[in-house]
Parts: sequence; structure tokens; C-alpha cells
Amino acid sequence: MTEPTPRESHALHNASGPAAAADTTRRAALVALFAGVAAIAVGYAAAFGARGTPLWAPWLLALGIPAALGAIMILGATRGGRGVGSLKIPFAFVILMLVIGFGAALALPATEGPLSRLWLGLPARAAIVIYGVGLLPIFVLPIAYALTFETQTLSAEDVERVRELARVNQVARDMPVAPPQTVRENAARKPSDEQIPE
Amino acid sequence: MISGIGVSALLQVALPNAARPAVVAVGILYFAVVLGISIWAARRTNTARDFFVAGKGIGLIALTVASVSVSVSGFAFIGGPGFIYAVGLGAMYIVLPAAVTNVMGAWVLAKRMRLLGEARALITIPDAIGARYRSRGAQGLSAVAILVGIVGYMATNALAMGVVINSIFGVGLGWGIWIGMGVTLAYSASGGILAGIYNDVFQGTLMAVASVLVFLFVLNFGGGLGEISRTILAHDSTFLGPWGRLTPLAALSFFFVFSMGSLGQPQAVHKYYMLRDPLQLKWYPLLKTMGLVLVLLLYFSVGVGVKAFVLSGRLAPLASPDQATPALLLNVTPILLAALVFSGVAAATMSAANSFINIGAAIVTHDLPVAFGRRVKNELRWGRTVTVLIAIAAAITAQQSGTMVAFLGIFGWGLFASTLVPALAVGLNWQGATRTGAMASIATGLIITLALETAAYLKVFSFPAGVTASAVAMVASFLVFFIVSWLTRRSAPAELDPDVRLVMEL
Repeated sequence: MTEPTPRESHALHNASGPAAAADTTRRAALVALFAGVAAIAVGYAAAFGARGTPLWAPWLLALGIPAALGAIMILGATRGGRGVGSLKIPFAFVILMLVIGFGAALALPATEGPLSRLWLGLPARAAIVIYGVGLLPIFVLPIAYALTFETQTLSAEDVERVRELARVNQVARDMPVAPPQTVRENAARKPSDEQIPE
Repeated sequence: MISGIGVSALLQVALPNAARPAVVAVGILYFAVVLGISIWAARRTNTARDFFVAGKGIGLIALTVASVSVSVSGFAFIGGPGFIYAVGLGAMYIVLPAAVTNVMGAWVLAKRMRLLGEARALITIPDAIGARYRSRGAQGLSAVAILVGIVGYMATNALAMGVVINSIFGVGLGWGIWIGMGVTLAYSASGGILAGIYNDVFQGTLMAVASVLVFLFVLNFGGGLGEISRTILAHDSTFLGPWGRLTPLAALSFFFVFSMGSLGQPQAVHKYYMLRDPLQLKWYPLLKTMGLVLVLLLYFSVGVGVKAFVLSGRLAPLASPDQATPALLLNVTPILLAALVFSGVAAATMSAANSFINIGAAIVTHDLPVAFGRRVKNELRWGRTVTVLIAIAAAITAQQSGTMVAFLGIFGWGLFASTLVPALAVGLNWQGATRTGAMASIATGLIITLALETAAYLKVFSFPAGVTASAVAMVASFLVFFIVSWLTRRSAPAELDPDVRLVMEL
């Protein structure tokens, strides 16, 4: 595969098919991220009210946090030519676990007491949070990441494309298009020197 | 992940004198190993790239253990269990995000930063921001934000080291600060990040072993988690409620700040550059998450266990919640285990300090000159010089008022989160983000964090329960980033170089 030019990249983004699907996924993730953060902001703002924190404010965080975290993960996992592929299942699972965990902690009545039934050593509401939110995702997300790594995250070809472009850029920088003294200076410069036209 | 609040919480602890022969012996052995690793690393550090990003890179296992080590501070061993003892399971919302933060960081940042390093030989986080937005201004502004956070972190880490070393050797707080900072400085200045990484590997392993052993001991001593829970529920059922004694808003706020905020912590994010082979990222999140879980076992087990032991009369009531770990170690566990944990705490503070010294030195010798269109001629020599200066400044600051130093440490995590997460984490994944949006977001995070934390410190203003300056600043920074980028969206396509675009599209 060859490296697309910026124009080709734009064309890809405007195309139909997989690239368009990726664009839709990214757009949806950005909207969800913005909406999640906005919900959290409203939750905090409500706490400043004269009557104290309203009962619905924590619910905004309980929904906004999973939305924001899920969205930023999806944004990161979406690739140029395809969406998140099979990762949508683990993402959906973890977002759901967070919503259920926080929601259950907020909604279920406080019945903890000496005679409470214990789940793996903890009362029900605590077990849902500790095991559901804090432990279950460990067995899903990192494993999904590893299993889909080559197809969804990074392949040897991807790395080679970046290295090839870096080599091309290096050659372009080393081209003798300036007086000798300037060429030597250019050769000594690192690529990061050139990024900044301000 | 919890290094941010770690040191400042550790400062509140008056650690008891633990200077028993076994504790001192293990402490001396610990420092001897650190010294040996440092001498070995110094011989392999010949260039600025060796010094700041470990030359040709680090293998997967070493990088993972090192990353776990810098993600956890003394808070996981001392302040955290004390916090659980005080407020119950609500304190777990600080560490529960560990289940998702590592893999989230891998998807959002690791691949793109590692590939940017490949394409441009970048060595710092501001480098990545400068490359992403083709902006010296954004690079300089993010460098200033990180530097402000590091000033606070370094002073608090220096003081925390003094507290721990004084507890182990009984040398006094002042000498504890100079000894801790001196040893950290010795390996930071001589072996740079290479010494830091391999010392982190040793220190991280020590922390994990100590944590697992304490966890097993507590479960055994308490008759299992079920028995421990029964004891607590008989006396204090709120403790084992899903929020403990925190309000739901406060607990959820912890979760938000420590999950999303993890994407902006330079000591962890900076490590992505160092992985030798980018394809090894495949196993990085799984291994790091497992490592973090092991290290955090102590956090949970001591907090909950000590509560049960005190309620059942097996342990005397604590003078303060932060005495939970020391009380357990010095009164109940075998002394060798106590010695291991005390060395583990020293390891945690030193590994965090080393990481921040290295990042601070890179900012002063690399990012700030680049922001002004200049380049330091001998980055290695200047890197070592600045490392010494930062360490001395931190040690001197740490001798000042404890309250003032604690204040400096409080805003570190939130400052990094609010200034870096939108511009870096979202910016590297959204081609519509603009230079103006990034700079506005970084400035918003910096100003709001400093203004609100200062106002709260001076008691000019107090937050409602559950709302923190870090959370407000991060939310504001996100919203500003989105809104300003949207308003200036026409400039977005021109701000992407082809290689950066390729990295963002892969």
C-alpha cells in the first residue's frame, strides 16, 4: 500500500463505503464525548445550587462518564478505512457495565447489614461496583485489544509505511537545494525543528 | 494513576519510627541495588536521546513494570489505605478506573505517539503537541503547563521521601529529604531515563511483591474477605456501601478525574515513546493492568482489613486513619514484611521523583528552547545540569512549610489532566481539532486549575461536596477545546503535515 496524499485522504473521508463508515463512527464518538462531558458539567453546575446537590446530578455523572470514556476509546480505536470492527462488542459491554454498576449503586436500596448476603465476600451493591466496574473490564478490554491488535490497531505494514515516509522526509530534508552552509545546518536539524511555521 | 494525590496525602502522615534492625537492613539493601543499577545505566548513557527516551528503546516487560511503578506513589501504600479506613469503599473510586485506563491509553495515545516518535524522532509530550498542530506556541504552552505541575510534584515527592526515609532510618526529616533526593539525583543525572526505567523495574517488582504478600497476610489474618466484611457490617454498614461515606457525586467525580485524567499524566504517557518495537504494544495494556492490580491489592486489603481488626479489638484504635498501614505492619505482620513495604514506599516516591525530574529537564533543555525557535547545543550536558538544579530546588522547597508544599502537590494531577487531555488525547484522534482550540484549552486548564486551587487554599472559596477544581478545570478545558476548534474549523486541514495525518489515520 502507498501512503495517501492529503488530498487523497480528504477524498477517502468524503467517500462512501468503509471510509465513510469510519467517518460516521468518529463523528458519533465526538458527539458522544461532547455530550458526556457536557452532562458531567451540568451535574457539577447543579451542585452549586442554593439547595445543595439535587438527586438527579449524580445520575448525569453516572451516564456521562461511561459515555465519555466509551467515546474516547472508540475515537482512538477507529481506523482510517474502517470503523471499530469487532471491537464494538467489548466497547458496548464495558460501557454497559459502567452504566449498570453506577446505576445499581444509585438506584438499589441500602440494605447492607450484619445479615446481608455476601457476593464474593462483599454485600450486593458493593460487589456490583467493585467486581463489575473495577474487575470485569480487565478481562474484556485488554484481551480484546490484544486479539484485534493486528487488524484493528497496528500491523507491521502500518509501521513500515510510517518508517518509509520518515525516510522520504529525511531524504527531502537532505536534498542539496540550498547553499552548502545551509545544507549542513539542515542535515543537523531534527525533523521536529521544521514543524513550526509560526 | 494515583501518583497525583499520592505524595500530598503521604505528607499528611506522621509515619512512626520503624527503625528496627530488619527494616534498616532491608532499606540499606534496597539502596545498594538502586546504586548498582544506576552505575550500570550511567555507562550506557551517551546521548541526549539515551538520556531522555532511553536511546533505542526498552523491551515490553521492563517498560510495563516501570510504567506501573511510576503510576503508583506512596499513596497506594500509606494514604490510600488510610483513606479507605476513613471513608469506606468510596475511596475505591480512585483506583477502580485502573480497569480501563491502561487500555484506553493504548487505544487513544500509545500507537499514535509511538508512531510519531518513529516518524519524527520526538522525545517529549510537548513535541507531540507541537507536531500535531504545527505550532511552537502550543508546544511551548503545554511545556509551561507541565513544568508548573512538576514544580509542585517535585517538592511534594522530596518531602514524601524525607518522611519515609526518616521512618526507616530515623535520621530526621531534613536529612531524609537530602538522602532521598541525593540518591534519586545520583541516578537521574548519571543514567537519565535508562537508570530511571531499570530502577523503576526493580522498584515496581518490590512494590508488587510487598502488596501481594500483605494482601495474602490480611486475608489469612482476617479469616477471608467474607469474615472481614461480616465484622465490619456488624458495626458500620455504611462503610461497605457502594459509596462508603462519600456522596455519590464525590465518588463518581473521583472516577471521572482518575480515569479521563490518566490520559494527560506525562510520567505515564511519556513512556509510550520508549517501547523498542511498536508491535509489542499488543500486550502492553494487559500486562500493565495486571501489574497495577497486584500493586493495588494492598490499598484495598489494608484499608478494609484494618477497619475490621480495629472494630473486633484485634488492633488498637488508630490515632489517625493514615496510620492504618504502619499500625498493621509494626504490630501485626512479620517484621520482614514490614521492612519490604517500607522499602516499597521509598521506591514508589523515588521512582515518581525520578520520572518528573527527567521530564522537567527535557522541558527546560528541549521544549522551551524549541518554542522560542532555538535549540540547545549539547542537550545531554544541559539535561544533566538541569536535572541537578531541579532536584536541589525541590529539596530546598521541601524544607519549607509542609502546608505550602502539600498545596503544591495537590494540583499536579488535575493540572496535567486539564491542560493535556483534550489537546493531546482528543487532538491526536480528531483531524478537526485546531491549533487555536488546543492552545485555548491548555490555557483554560492552566488558569482555572491554578485560580480555583489557590482560592480554595486561601479559603476564599469552597466547593460543594463532590466538586473539585481538577474536575471543573478538566470539563471546562474539554468544552473550550471543542467549541474553539469548531469555531476555527476552517484552519484545521492546513495544520496537519502528511506524516502526522498518516499517523492519525492508521
